[in-house]
Amino acid sequence: MLRYNIKIAFRNLVNRKRYALVNVLGLAIGLASFIVIALYIIDELSYDLHHSKSERIFRIVNVYDFEGVGEESSSSPFPVGPTLLMEYPHLIETSVRFFNNWSSPYFVEYGEKRFNERKLFFVDSTVFDVFDIPFIAGNPASALNNPGTVVLTESASMRYFGDEDPIGKKLEIEEHFNVIVTGVIRDPVPQSHFTYELLVSMETIKTLLNGYEPKTWIWNPCWTYIVLKEGVKAEDLNKLFDQFIVKYFYDAEKDNITLTLQSLPEIHLRSSLDYEIEPNGNITYIKILSVIAIFMLIIATVNFMNLSTAIAGKRAREIGMKKVVGATRRQLAVQFITESVIVSILGLLIALALVEFIIPYFNDFTGKNISSNYYLEPVKMSLLLAIAFTTGVLSGIYPAFYLSSFKPIAALKGELEQSRSGVKARKILVVTQFSISIILIVTTIVTFQQLQFFQNKDLGFTKENIIILPIQHTPVVQHYDAFESELLMSPEILYVTSLDYIVGVEHNTHEFRPEGFPEDQWQFYPALKVRNGFLETFDVEVVAGRGFEKESKIDPSGAVLINEAMVKFLGWKSNENAIGKRFHSFSGKENVIGVFRDFHVNSLHADITPLVLSLPQNRKSLEYYSVYMAIRHVPGQFDKALDVIHKAWEKFSPQRPFEYKIHAEELARMYREEYILSRLAAIFTFLIIFIASLGLYGLVSYLMDQRTKEIGIRMVLGASLFQIIKLLSREFSLLILIANIIAWPVSFLLMYYWLQNFEFQVQIRLIVFVMAGLMSYAIAMTITALKVMSSFRMKPSETLKHE
Amino acid sequence: MIKTENLTKIFRTDEVETTALNKISFRVQPGEFIAIMGPSGCGKSTLLNILGLLDNHTAGEYYFLDMEVSKFSEKQKAKLRKENIGFVFQNFNLIDELTVFENVELPLIYLGYGSRERKRRVEMVLEQMQITHRKKHFPVQLSGGQQQRVAVARAIVAEPKLILADEPTGNLDSAHGEEVMNLIEWLHKNGTTVIIVTHSQRDAEYSQRIVRLFDGQIITENIKEHIL
Repeated sequence: MLRYNIKIAFRNLVNRKRYALVNVLGLAIGLASFIVIALYIIDELSYDLHHSKSERIFRIVNVYDFEGVGEESSSSPFPVGPTLLMEYPHLIETSVRFFNNWSSPYFVEYGEKRFNERKLFFVDSTVFDVFDIPFIAGNPASALNNPGTVVLTESASMRYFGDEDPIGKKLEIEEHFNVIVTGVIRDPVPQSHFTYELLVSMETIKTLLNGYEPKTWIWNPCWTYIVLKEGVKAEDLNKLFDQFIVKYFYDAEKDNITLTLQSLPEIHLRSSLDYEIEPNGNITYIKILSVIAIFMLIIATVNFMNLSTAIAGKRAREIGMKKVVGATRRQLAVQFITESVIVSILGLLIALALVEFIIPYFNDFTGKNISSNYYLEPVKMSLLLAIAFTTGVLSGIYPAFYLSSFKPIAALKGELEQSRSGVKARKILVVTQFSISIILIVTTIVTFQQLQFFQNKDLGFTKENIIILPIQHTPVVQHYDAFESELLMSPEILYVTSLDYIVGVEHNTHEFRPEGFPEDQWQFYPALKVRNGFLETFDVEVVAGRGFEKESKIDPSGAVLINEAMVKFLGWKSNENAIGKRFHSFSGKENVIGVFRDFHVNSLHADITPLVLSLPQNRKSLEYYSVYMAIRHVPGQFDKALDVIHKAWEKFSPQRPFEYKIHAEELARMYREEYILSRLAAIFTFLIIFIASLGLYGLVSYLMDQRTKEIGIRMVLGASLFQIIKLLSREFSLLILIANIIAWPVSFLLMYYWLQNFEFQVQIRLIVFVMAGLMSYAIAMTITALKVMSSFRMKPSETLKHE
Repeated sequence: MIKTENLTKIFRTDEVETTALNKISFRVQPGEFIAIMGPSGCGKSTLLNILGLLDNHTAGEYYFLDMEVSKFSEKQKAKLRKENIGFVFQNFNLIDELTVFENVELPLIYLGYGSRERKRRVEMVLEQMQITHRKKHFPVQLSGGQQQRVAVARAIVAEPKLILADEPTGNLDSAHGEEVMNLIEWLHKNGTTVIIVTHSQRDAEYSQRIVRLFDGQIITENIKEHIL
């Protein structure tokens, strides 16, 4: 019987090519989209799970809270890791710190080969005990025990040494110290919340930081990971942190700091702290994509049901005759389910081919490295087969139930009287499809609007025409003034400044003691260390007092600028009132000399915070805090400006590779996740609408089949094409209305939930819903018109003969 | 073999009630050949469908093989039907997607015969119907007469006790019509009970007894002299 069913199924597909094509294609697109999204989600969910201890690895998070101002830092002070291990050896197996001075690139040389390395970290030798890092050469137990040692990834090793044996070779870092290669490791698994290329032993840090490892409990630049002992719960350690803080942290911090543990596998999707090593993903987007993936499957399934029942009329004789010769309902149902399973397996095969084709583009677009050889993985493949099979069975159940319910005699006569429930079920299917389409149209429009909003929002500073140069540790920073003068001589360059973080991306916090706070109560406020020219370069408006002045004798150690939010935060009466108030730092006796208009120092995911701008005070801190140089050029003169900067760079820093960033691009990079989401939403929405349209086409065909004779008579009596379209559209105008009523609140909630990710959101406007509704109606109308027009070409006599 | 008492069929729509069969009582003995005649709309086909367990009656009793089937479930009726009744229709009702062989084989599949037995039986009836050379063709490739021969083959392949034929020659020219009627007569002579519905007096002449229907009632039942 099964063989027989399969044979009939294939003949049916071949005999009804167009139907089969529409059906299989709809399903294939649905399944392919589902698979691609699923692979993306699986990839996102698999971050950091490849470490055998991943469930026991935690990152130490430091939360500094000064009445709502402060930071949630993903990194900790230098002593935290070792001290925790020393204090709680019964709970902690081992720990490791990663330090890179907050991601400024390091200049590394090997002979003529010179690179700016962004993925260089100083790490404890225990790194290989914490993470699973396979060695190609060298000994993990001893590779990083000594100062001046480095372990390279395969790619990094290839970059410097090619086919030479790298072990024992020397690399020079920052033209300052040498490290010897003691090991080569595999490139990090892409599914890691951060990746590395050069791991320098932590012992080496002393060479870099004047011979000692920092002992301060304030500066927190070390990403610190600990491994809990088997059987120890995070809670066991978490509850000891309070006493740990009291015992070790400075008095000024104690009341304001909290330590927590963050589970390693959670970092990628659930962490968006300050100073993340690399931008992480976002669990909300994974949820939204999951919803889209499920929608895809539903739409494809619903479509399938619609199309299968739509052609029922054409199979009436077969069904009737089989019943006459004694086929039971169950036998017929099994036949139809077999058919739909075959179609869905065909759909799966085509989907797999589509996925194979799409994956490279998809990877390119999302920056992922998803491999399409999942069909070699039995678990994933059997899961896919199960999904295809289930889709087939689900799609087959309704048609099977519906078709097999025909009365044999009626079926033989072609009188397919519709049971009321049958019609109702089909209407529900159409409403479902339309609801989903409308929800997705709304989603797409709102995500696009939000992204547009990000790109166009007035950030409170200018981001156009600004080139950023990483200058830390370079000769440029040592000859900053000369370099600056050289640039400013050129008419293309307008303003120059230096700063420790890229404005609009990130900032640090520093300790201050504003007027009104006792001597010993240091407050940690968001702050940027900048040079003269900052306000001009970024076009930040001073609303009270004055900005920094180059000629001023007071400024470097006696002046800070604060924003309006800080004035409000401190409860000072007015911006003018703030001028002259005490605002001491660790190293100076500053007063507020000016108040500037609030700007978005962070991404728009976060609110505007109080902010301090201060000047580094001595040569050493000038060099230390001049991480980037920001150069504003004349609009439209990018090429010339870049040429000027490049030439100056060659003059001052001939050894170092010239690198630059464009400020606007750096800002856009923060919204990359949103960019990807909005584009993915758009693509999948388009596909879903396409599949739904196929389904609607099936429905319209069906409605027309039902009413061919009526249409024929109307045509004989002189009905116009338009009148016929109107007649048919009346059937589903109501359905589309109902779909809108369902879809609007659902999509509103969905978008409302998504927008909670951002401090600054677009408003969800009614017009978006109206647009989505109209679009769905327009699509339905177009399809009806197309179908009616193709039938209208038939002569009325032929339509009348239909019976 | 068949006995009906006051068999009544009423079609109801929202506003109209139509009595298609009005208290029909008649009997069919095993091995009989009966023709049901009457004008269009008199209820012939309705009667045949009820006798063939394809439709339900509204009132009265229907005994098939001495079983009162009124209360039978669809499943029971389907079983009774597939084991005992073969159908021949005016428009053949062959399934386009199946070959001649497969169309004929269909009832045997639903009766659960093994494939070897199916092949044997199908080959046999195709031989009897002289259509073996067409067994791999699809219905659309055959003439009307050939199609009806296939339909007859399908009706008899399971060796039913009863053949019901609804206007079996209605779509055929006279030569092919005669061919099909000869086949049906041959079946009857081999012991099968046959009931046909027909407009054609010529077809009716093949039968032993003609039942005339008018407005859902039997008006005459004449047993033909030459049989007597």
